[in-house]
Amino acid sequence: MGFLTALGFEPQKIAFSSDTSEQQGREHAKGRGTVDCCYPVKCISGHYGELVNREKHRQIDILFAPMIRSLPSHLGTHVVASLACPRVMAAPENIKAGFIKERDAFAERGIRYVTPYVSLGDPPIVPKQLFEGLKDAIPGLTPIETREAVRAGFAALAAFDGRARARSREILEHCAATESPCLLVLARPYHMDPGVGHEIEVDLQSYGYPILWAQYLPIDDDLLAWTFGPDVHDGFIRSPLDIADVWPSSYSANTNEILWGAKFAARMPWIACVIRMSSYECGMDQPTYTPVQQIVERSGTLFFSFQDLDSTKPAGSVKIRVETIAHYLEKHAGGIIAKKKAASPPGCPLIHDSASAVPQQPKSKAAPQAA
Amino acid sequence: MDTAVASPYRAYKPQAFTRSERDHVTVLFGGLHWRAERVLQGALENLGYRARMLPTATKEDLLAGREVADIGQCCPTSFTTGNVVNFLRGEAKRIGPEEVAKKYVYVTAGSCGSCRFGQYHQSYELALRNIGMESFRMFLLAQDGMDQGPSAGGGLELDVPFTMGAIWAILATDVVQDLEYQIRPYEVVPGATERVAGECVELLYEAFRDRPVRSRKWGAAAWHIVTPYFLRTLAEVHRRFGAIEVDRLRVKPVVKITGEFYLQTVEGEPNYDIHRWLESEGAEVYPAAVTVWLDYLLRFAAQQAEDRIGVARNARVKRLALRAAQGLLRWSYDRMRRALGDLPHEIPDQYELRSLAAPYFHSRLDGGEGDMLIGKALWAYHHKKAHMTCELSPYACMPNTMSIGAMAGVIGKHPDLLYAPLEIKGDAEVHALSRCQMILTEAKRRAQREFDDALGVNGLTVESARALLERHPEMKQATYRVPRRGAAGTAANLVLHLAERSRQ
Repeated sequence: MGFLTALGFEPQKIAFSSDTSEQQGREHAKGRGTVDCCYPVKCISGHYGELVNREKHRQIDILFAPMIRSLPSHLGTHVVASLACPRVMAAPENIKAGFIKERDAFAERGIRYVTPYVSLGDPPIVPKQLFEGLKDAIPGLTPIETREAVRAGFAALAAFDGRARARSREILEHCAATESPCLLVLARPYHMDPGVGHEIEVDLQSYGYPILWAQYLPIDDDLLAWTFGPDVHDGFIRSPLDIADVWPSSYSANTNEILWGAKFAARMPWIACVIRMSSYECGMDQPTYTPVQQIVERSGTLFFSFQDLDSTKPAGSVKIRVETIAHYLEKHAGGIIAKKKAASPPGCPLIHDSASAVPQQPKSKAAPQAA
Repeated sequence: MDTAVASPYRAYKPQAFTRSERDHVTVLFGGLHWRAERVLQGALENLGYRARMLPTATKEDLLAGREVADIGQCCPTSFTTGNVVNFLRGEAKRIGPEEVAKKYVYVTAGSCGSCRFGQYHQSYELALRNIGMESFRMFLLAQDGMDQGPSAGGGLELDVPFTMGAIWAILATDVVQDLEYQIRPYEVVPGATERVAGECVELLYEAFRDRPVRSRKWGAAAWHIVTPYFLRTLAEVHRRFGAIEVDRLRVKPVVKITGEFYLQTVEGEPNYDIHRWLESEGAEVYPAAVTVWLDYLLRFAAQQAEDRIGVARNARVKRLALRAAQGLLRWSYDRMRRALGDLPHEIPDQYELRSLAAPYFHSRLDGGEGDMLIGKALWAYHHKKAHMTCELSPYACMPNTMSIGAMAGVIGKHPDLLYAPLEIKGDAEVHALSRCQMILTEAKRRAQREFDDALGVNGLTVESARALLERHPEMKQATYRVPRRGAAGTAANLVLHLAERSRQ
């Protein structure tokens, strides 16, 4: 939105497809799939279809689906690279085929399909890429305008990121003050979509456990120094954001962040449980299953994974798993926090002497409370 | 549930492989076809390494690979992981695990994305842990560096002679493989091509083992580029293949193999031995040259440099240097082709592949073969290089599924393009081969129609064409170059050529 509004698009003229759902797929993706692949890519056909099939008075003019080669990441230059998953990157070309193979569904509705190739993890090149990708779709667009809009887009992203991380820190501080546990979700960003992640974390939250996402963990210097200081000191890593000790081939942005999140969780006493989510046929997650589990479990933190998530929410088994997780947390969280605290260095910046929050115990299922 | 705090997890870090160990430690490698591996062995021995090829992976390796690594690997990784594991298990039984760890190191290619291929060291590491051989040493070499310097304790020196030896071994075996596949379907004496190919690969092995390169730096690169040393061996290869008698009036569809790197390259159970299976079904196989992959890597790097023009300093110079490197690669490949009588196929122009694929697949999308698979299918179709394209797509391959999906758009536009994308799982042979057979049946029909048309327009019959052939015994020589006269099939081109000659 930051980028598009800076280019002059009014917010009300920017339409998003709705959250992923089975119904969306049934109504809009029928006959559009060209190959069997992971669910997060397959479901894009439904999103395209929903936008393409809008009623005449709500018809879109441009379908904007950038091919994202790399992503901004807080791990920055501490990792080899921050590339996007190759399937996500190529999805606009793959999904397009389902809309042009018999007749051009975009052209029939007067929709311009715009898919600039963009390396968001490499800001200097982004204005050039977006200008090249958009100049035909936006008459009169200039490189200077594009550069300014890119700057606005990154600023908006940074502002959102900062707010989310600050909120995560507040949650951790609250947990530290109250000696209460929280959960960390290790997943890919699209698992925040209720139709892809199936709101498993929401079910857990209903037991009163605050939920953190690895993408928005706090990265303040004081906290990182405390969390990873011993590893840096002992020469296992060069900086708190270095993951070479567990994952030397650190070129994939979301994979890197999952690995780093696992390390953070392992060292953070109040993260008593990690929930791993992974979609059906996720190739990028596959090599990480064992390292992530090992990183977390060796720290004494509870680890539960939901793998092969697909279009249908396996509600029954999720319910049983969630109850199991809640049971283990109720039984073990206190001990986990105590053991992890004992293994942590002194001087945790999350603990304030003046902290006076009222201790908060997780609620039972009978009386759920949203965190 | 155990919630005790243990020591943090750390990734596998191999113990050093020192220079002094080179004399008694064997470097294991694999992942290519037997010709390239054997010649690569010679190139490594030339540099003072003891080198050994792993056996071609089998279905047992596939099962072992699935068993010892995380679930959901792509099929090539299951094969290669299991291949290493079963080899090590076998050796451990023979000489004990400690001795195996001392005696061998494994070297394989790594990458920096975007697909998970570059992260598969994790699978190997996990497999080593699961078979209790964590002390075994495994090293990755990048695909994009000419001089990566000493690594892993100095035992492995990934320098210019190493890299040039590997590239030249690939170029030389690509042209030999191509020639072999053009001859075998037409050989009059069954097994003759096989025998000569084996002899020729041994000749090349010896040539690479004894190459007289002395420089450790860029002098070695210059020597490889200008030397006639390898061409002399290839001339002998040409002479030996020339002794094979062929009957090119056998009508066979030409099937171009494309796909994911490992599956299109390897010959054996990992791809259902598809090359030989196609031959046994009456096809002439147009194999996938590894050189095309090297050319693609250079093109991709040149594109990246091009995109940075105006953003980064020296981008223009870098692009020029990479384009020059592409030119040198093609020139060197063509020199080797010429040494084999210009018989091996030329490598497609990367920029033509790019423009052919552009409406369907962006040229900057990386991971796997990128836009090349679409470009190659269209290139073969437009230039009548083959009757059919058989694309070998590994089960769970991330980038490959993307281009196969995009091919739906290509087929929509060119419904007569014969394209057989085969998902290779390693243990679903009947399904894949029967799918291939369906397309192959149509390819055979087209080859026959093309042949019949060639006879018809020239007023010939099979018998009269054969009589003309008898008047030109040189055309029965395997190294006789039948000029392409607009047909995809060898037999049709031969008929057109015979008719032309009869009119002269």
